[in-house]
Amino acid sequence: MTTPRHRGPATARRRRAGRSRRLPTVTTAAHLDRGLQPERATLAWSRTCLALVTISAIFLRWVSHYGAWLLVLPAIALVAAVVITDTQRIRTNRGVHGIHRGSLTADPLPPLMLVGVVLALGVAGACFALVAP
Amino acid sequence: MTRAPDADDRTWLARRLLPDGDEPDPRFTLANERTFLAWIRTALALLAGGIAIEAFAVDIFDANVRKLVALLLIGLGMLLSGGAFVRWLGVERAMRHAKPLPLPMIAPLLGIGGAVAAIVVGIVVLTSGP
Repeated sequence: MTTPRHRGPATARRRRAGRSRRLPTVTTAAHLDRGLQPERATLAWSRTCLALVTISAIFLRWVSHYGAWLLVLPAIALVAAVVITDTQRIRTNRGVHGIHRGSLTADPLPPLMLVGVVLALGVAGACFALVAP
Repeated sequence: MTRAPDADDRTWLARRLLPDGDEPDPRFTLANERTFLAWIRTALALLAGGIAIEAFAVDIFDANVRKLVALLLIGLGMLLSGGAFVRWLGVERAMRHAKPLPLPMIAPLLGIGGAVAAIVVGIVVLTSGP
């Protein structure tokens, strides 16, 4: 997904984002930051992505009880998981660059989007729980 | 109020939600993000649990109890995820002004919510069945 050969819209977006914020790709900041903070933050996003995939499987398990419309829940969770995976490289690069520069601007958009996903799953899940047999 | 040196590079949303103060140590910002993600995973687990208990306990619990516990868990998951963002923002703002970090109000929420769900299920298990 993040190979240089990939030519999807996400890659174009990444290139635009990379250009506009002038972030050359830096692979690591381990010599400046022994705690490997950007790597650990990326792994935390990976765990969250895996959690989304796992709950998709749990939702699928209960389609027989709730009906086919329940597929909306794994669909939302899997789209979020794909978006997280697709943006991992930008995220690591931002973090590594921030460590190099000694300054990292917190971006509220990814947390806000993730909360939006959880709230959407929650509202849909609550509706299913209410109308289920 | 001091402006961050690279304030112009920031997104509209970042300028809006984190308007003033100085950029904290990047390691703290990343640590704050990881804590937020841990809360989100907890919220996701509660959502999955809520959906599962409604369907899983069909033959065990009365329909009203099932729905009550399911809604309790799903509602707790939604509250925690919203609270996690509020906390992320509060910690980020406190760090930008070099102030003490706010108390995590979602921690007692999770504790009390989990205890209430466990008590409800416990009472139902004890009082139902032959």
